[in-house]
Amino acid sequence: MTIGGKTISGIFEAILNFSVSNPALACHITTVLRWVFVVLAVYILVRCIMSLLSTRATPEVWGYFYVQDGQSYPITHWENIIGRSNSADLSIPLKTISKTHAMLIRRPNGKWMFKDLNSKNGTVINGVQLIPSKRYLINAGDEIVMGGVHCTLAAMSVEETINIKHMRSLDKEPIAPWKILIAITVFQALAIVQLIIGMGSDMNFSSMLAIVLLCALMWGYVMLFKALGRKGFEMEMIAFFMSTINLVVTASSAPYSTLKQFIAIALGLCLMVFMCIVLRDIQRSKQIRPLLAGLSVLLLIINLVFGSLRYGASNWVEIGGITIQPSELVKLAFICIGAASLEELYNKKNIIVYALFSLFCLGCLAIMGDFGTALIFFVTYLVVSFLRSGDFSKLILTVVGAGIMGIMVLRFKPYIASRFATWGHVWEYADSTGYQQVRTMAFGAGGGLLGVGVGNGSLKYVGASNTDLVFGFVMEEWGFIIAVLLVLCLITLCLFAVNSIMAGRSTFFTIGACGAASMMLFQTMLNIFGAVDLFPLTGVTFPFVSVGGTSMIASWGMLAYFKAADMRKDASLAIRREVDNA
Amino acid sequence: MRKLERRATICLALAAVLFMGIVVFGWRFVTNGGEWASFYGNTQIYTNGQINRGTIYDRNGTMLLNCTKSGIEYPQDSTLRKATLHAVGDPAGNVATGAINVYKSELIGYDLINGTYNTTAEGKNIYLSIDAEANRVAYNALNGREGTVGVFNYKTGEIMCMVSTPTTDPAYPSSTSPESAVYFNTFLMGALTPGSTLKLVTAAAAYDTLDDIENFSFTCDGTNRYEGEKIPCTGVHGTVNFETSLAKSCNGAFGSLTRQIGPGQMMNYAEKAGLTDSIDVDGIHTAKGQFTFPDDSPINLSWAGIGQYQDLVNPCAMMVYVGSIANEGQAVQPTLLKNSNFLKNLTGGKSLGRYLAKTTADKLKEMMKYDVQMTYGESNFPGLDLYAKSGTAEVGTSASNSWFVGFIDNPSHPYAFVVWIKGGGIGYQAAGPVARSVLNTLIANN
Repeated sequence: MTIGGKTISGIFEAILNFSVSNPALACHITTVLRWVFVVLAVYILVRCIMSLLSTRATPEVWGYFYVQDGQSYPITHWENIIGRSNSADLSIPLKTISKTHAMLIRRPNGKWMFKDLNSKNGTVINGVQLIPSKRYLINAGDEIVMGGVHCTLAAMSVEETINIKHMRSLDKEPIAPWKILIAITVFQALAIVQLIIGMGSDMNFSSMLAIVLLCALMWGYVMLFKALGRKGFEMEMIAFFMSTINLVVTASSAPYSTLKQFIAIALGLCLMVFMCIVLRDIQRSKQIRPLLAGLSVLLLIINLVFGSLRYGASNWVEIGGITIQPSELVKLAFICIGAASLEELYNKKNIIVYALFSLFCLGCLAIMGDFGTALIFFVTYLVVSFLRSGDFSKLILTVVGAGIMGIMVLRFKPYIASRFATWGHVWEYADSTGYQQVRTMAFGAGGGLLGVGVGNGSLKYVGASNTDLVFGFVMEEWGFIIAVLLVLCLITLCLFAVNSIMAGRSTFFTIGACGAASMMLFQTMLNIFGAVDLFPLTGVTFPFVSVGGTSMIASWGMLAYFKAADMRKDASLAIRREVDNA
Repeated sequence: MRKLERRATICLALAAVLFMGIVVFGWRFVTNGGEWASFYGNTQIYTNGQINRGTIYDRNGTMLLNCTKSGIEYPQDSTLRKATLHAVGDPAGNVATGAINVYKSELIGYDLINGTYNTTAEGKNIYLSIDAEANRVAYNALNGREGTVGVFNYKTGEIMCMVSTPTTDPAYPSSTSPESAVYFNTFLMGALTPGSTLKLVTAAAAYDTLDDIENFSFTCDGTNRYEGEKIPCTGVHGTVNFETSLAKSCNGAFGSLTRQIGPGQMMNYAEKAGLTDSIDVDGIHTAKGQFTFPDDSPINLSWAGIGQYQDLVNPCAMMVYVGSIANEGQAVQPTLLKNSNFLKNLTGGKSLGRYLAKTTADKLKEMMKYDVQMTYGESNFPGLDLYAKSGTAEVGTSASNSWFVGFIDNPSHPYAFVVWIKGGGIGYQAAGPVARSVLNTLIANN
């Protein structure tokens, strides 16, 4: 390790000496590198984006449902609604069957469970009248009579299983990660070169080390899970790319925090892997929710009691020299607690628990004065509630309730009102309330499409430039194209999540992925729109890109929800691998 | 499950909003980028509040202003600095129409692809269309009087000379208030009583709209009472026809013509001559002229047709109108940037459209020549094929303001000019020599 360290520091010295002794040549290198960065970034991200968006996974089939008239329905989810309604998973258009008649759920152990949902005409299985809302274990071949209609559940025959397996193996495979890995590595190496040219002696060795370590971490991670048989790495590649930008932004703006920032990325990656493994088992995932809720409440209370005020919000806690932002971690729990299996969606208690938890979170955030984060929680809450209920009257009630809360926040926090007052005409307040926004735009525009070169930026001397204004930071140093690509990455993650839930096993993962996607998208929106005056500046972070340990860890953790929705064959480490027993 | 899958599309709505926001921002970025980048808070291009890159030259490569990291550099000659202040502008931005303000994003070398980045960080060189030497000559010819001199190429639109006084030395400014008169560019932003120069518009309207104009006749007795009110002339002109009435600048005759033309057509021709519009000079919008042609007061209408009453014109707009007479009725948009484009030099500048019919323009041109021969004396302008009209605008003060507008017919030097001197007295006597010196300098220099 020391030899490796010496080699790296030797390279560092060599590049530094070269750029100091040949300033004119170094300038020309920058001129060229700006183009190279854009080309590499476009290559890396377009490849990932194309691979993610061209996926059309053949649904897994878990069994068949036969109806007396000879009709058979493939069961493509673990959780199914049987009923007359169009939106039922097994939609049987017969009058005696209720719109939402019953629920058919596959257990992880392969057993099937049946539950009558207070249907009008009831269900009889093997001659036994079912008690509504009570679970019954059923077997393949059992005679199920719903409103006089005879049905049977058929397990998959070996032949069919092989067939489906074959079909799925014909699906487009996730692209191999190697070329992208090499491209990111080149990108990282050139970023180091440019950082040294741009920053000169302000660049420090630990910044360079952090980027090298990130590179090693990335290769290590991919090789490990590739060896374990996983194929889909696009999302991680996107996250690693964005993390690279993050490290370089840190190196340029706060060189002595780069190593710390790398540690946050590493921790985030570990958290993601851990969460993916937990999420493989839906029972386990459901069971840890009370624990998560308890931890979240504890974290928020600690924040309220020990929090310190920064930039008008007391959302920071300092523990043993390390500052953390508890609300960032609570975001992860917020998604998990909001997620629910189909069975739980028909359970009032579950909804009430979720609503109370949300209310608590929002209340704490309002007390802290963290308006931006409160807004993120609120929007996520709305999306998740909508997914869960779909009942508009309920939705309206929540909107009204939370709207009142929003007005309260506005009333109690005049500084937020003043931010709204500046909104839309920041140029008139260029040296007061619009200070940050106009500089984001001015320096960002100064970067043009290609940027002024990493390390050459000047926005870094403006407060919060590497967190709230990081979009402008990237525009200035990396150029508009790369800044926009970063946004497109997040949009792609969301599109992929929506695309892949079509083959989802349980609503738990669907809600998780959509909740996480909404949260990330909305947070990105607040960050960018706030910085460029499309929305009042609220001071939230750009996922993966803003400098900050907790925010980085939370971004990686969030990725686990996307991984859990990735149903491509053998792609995701959040899905238990199919055991090949055929 | 299926119900939930459908509802999951709400995520797509959020993604669409984010995407739309980026599109909106991208559009603003593309259209406003230069303006944003040249914001004074951009410390990349400002040092101590002053632009730190870019150089402004005149058309012949004389440095007029050089912005460097260590501060602003000016030419050595103080007269040159004063004479070009309004064209170049001052670093503090008090001259709103100065090049340093108007071409800021060009000066810092902004372009969409590279932003403000360039390898040397030296910004761009901007070549103004003005000839610094002509400016200096014009400034000296004004000789401390308040006024303005403008010359442009009526084929390409390049402004060759632009001086406005009072002025100040940007290196040692006499005032720091942006309201101060020394920072006001009268040529672009002034609105002045045109006096007899407006007769060029009235003559065009008369020629186009009055039947039998060739047989027009008026007998001037020096006071020319109409409905009991005087429309006096500087002398007794006797019987004049259309041509001689312009050459002698007979107020009585033009009052009569104006009454025959009528208020509607007078307004129409003032508009057609571009005098009521703001002209776009590379993004600088000149002041608009104003006219009132009353239909209930023949005497006021008469005065309005003679360039008095409530008439106001902008010197630059007047110059463009005179240029259109020289250019067979076609007006060309003035520009302050030197044409580096060879093709543009051949095809001419951007057209502002036809101000006058060719026959009308030719007629006016002929009359302006006659004017020079008869009144100003061609011998006073040796070597110049001059066509001109003077004006002596009465503004209620003791001394009248002098005007001299016109052009020279010279294929290599197609210049139209406007000279205005506050309190200069008789138009061509005060302003004529200024025009002569400047035109001769331009011909010698270019």
